[in-house]
Amino acid sequence: MKLQREVYIAGVGETKFGKHELNYDALGRIAALQALRDSNINRPNVVQSAYVANATNGLVTGQTVLKDLGMCGHMPIINVESACSAGGMAVHMAIRDVATGFAEVSLGIGCENHTLELQAGTTFKPSISDIEGMQGSVMTGKYALRAQRYMYETGATIEDLAMITVKNRRHATNNPFAWFKGEISVEQVIGSRMVASPLTLQQCCGIADGAGAVVVCSAEMVKKLGIEKPIRVAGTVVQSGPYHNRPRDITGDDITETTSEQLYHESGIGPEDIDIVELHDAFTISELLYYECMGLCAKGEGLKYLRDGNATYGGKCVVSPRGGMLSYGHPIGASGAAQIAANVKQMRGQCPGYQVDPIPRVAVSHVTGGGLAGTEHAACTMHMLVSDW
Amino acid sequence: MADNSPKKDITFFHPDLLDISADGQACLKGYRCKSCGQLDFPKLSPCPNCWGEEFEVVPLSKTGRLYSVTDIFIAPAGMATPYSFGYVDLPENLRIFAQLEGPPGSFKCDDEVELTTGTIRMNRDGLPITSYKFKKTN
Ligand SMILES: [Zn+2]
Repeated sequence: MKLQREVYIAGVGETKFGKHELNYDALGRIAALQALRDSNINRPNVVQSAYVANATNGLVTGQTVLKDLGMCGHMPIINVESACSAGGMAVHMAIRDVATGFAEVSLGIGCENHTLELQAGTTFKPSISDIEGMQGSVMTGKYALRAQRYMYETGATIEDLAMITVKNRRHATNNPFAWFKGEISVEQVIGSRMVASPLTLQQCCGIADGAGAVVVCSAEMVKKLGIEKPIRVAGTVVQSGPYHNRPRDITGDDITETTSEQLYHESGIGPEDIDIVELHDAFTISELLYYECMGLCAKGEGLKYLRDGNATYGGKCVVSPRGGMLSYGHPIGASGAAQIAANVKQMRGQCPGYQVDPIPRVAVSHVTGGGLAGTEHAACTMHMLVSDW
Repeated sequence: MADNSPKKDITFFHPDLLDISADGQACLKGYRCKSCGQLDFPKLSPCPNCWGEEFEVVPLSKTGRLYSVTDIFIAPAGMATPYSFGYVDLPENLRIFAQLEGPPGSFKCDDEVELTTGTIRMNRDGLPITSYKFKKTN
């Protein structure tokens, strides 16, 4: 969507990711309150609309999050579900409200608690109408199929894939919001329990709880609120995943390719100008494929891009500077909003111990979502943020 | 009020996808749209190309090429691990997602495979659910 007027991010919040005793709504409130205070908003009636992303915690989750903040009763609260893309989608909708003039200030939240409800060691249940699910499909397995074909065609090895985990965990070493972090060797990654060959446990994002929140506003409100470092939204794109039942190349990802192209077109900013990216590294293979799908490097050169150090601190574009999902874990409704919070903090130079240097001026975030039969992903959401000051 | 009375779970998945003749021969069912000619598996109704609602059932090829394959070690309830699944490309320009019959680790990309039937999972009553699978051609 081409933005009809300028939209800015005024403030962000995020909880630490991991296993939480606090339920999703309490996590969501923590992140929301942080984002509101970060935006110099100190009372409940400044925000004019809110979008709350959650995938698995039930009905009217947004109202549950916001009622204790006194925010129910005088604005629309809309609940957003699109599996792993939901958090990005909630922020997208908040941006739309400001872009169209429906609101001067809007709030996007992503929050999820998986571990209070989900039994450890099993995966989500398939629906009987999902033919792939009935055949035993699991998300890890769908990514494993991409990894197997990628390895078969390019000669990449499981050790190559493991380098993604090693890199992202290293990035997260000093990040207080990340869960799994610090040094891990290639041998430890490939020696961990096999989940879906060639993807071992340490190549998969953890099932985690957490929340992220983003306050967006108009140019006028940036002044009124006295925001010193507003982050401008240069582009925001949501796409639905095309249906396939015919042979095609799965070492690419059609929905990420389409969404990236649209984002670059609408923002007028190309992949060569991006300083940092938080992408959907739910599994090692996905980050490798997405270098290529997003045009950070040419098709077939993802591995070289990684090996040459282009995706780490000091490289061409730091990919997963916060440590990605491989370090945070992945509360599916929360991740998209938390990525945006992390990118904003990087652009404001607020990441001691994991600050990208020089301070990034162009940041991209990317979440895909949903294992619908016949699609690679049911949804994809991307954001392009820039700092103009 | 919700109906909580016990219902028998399915043991065959499912007649729109798979035909098993009296002599045990299995066949996947393709659906050709009578108005635009598009061939789909599984059945999509209406046809996503023209919204036609009449189809001719076409038996699909029994052999194909395994585009990619993985062995699964952590699975949902009802699945015995490890098991393998993959994408099978048929000559009709169709890609079938299917479980594979054979020991994990024995398949690789571009193997030739053929249609068979077998247990794909256990149902809620603890009984096997039968459907299509693929195995290596002899
Ligand atoms: Zn048709």
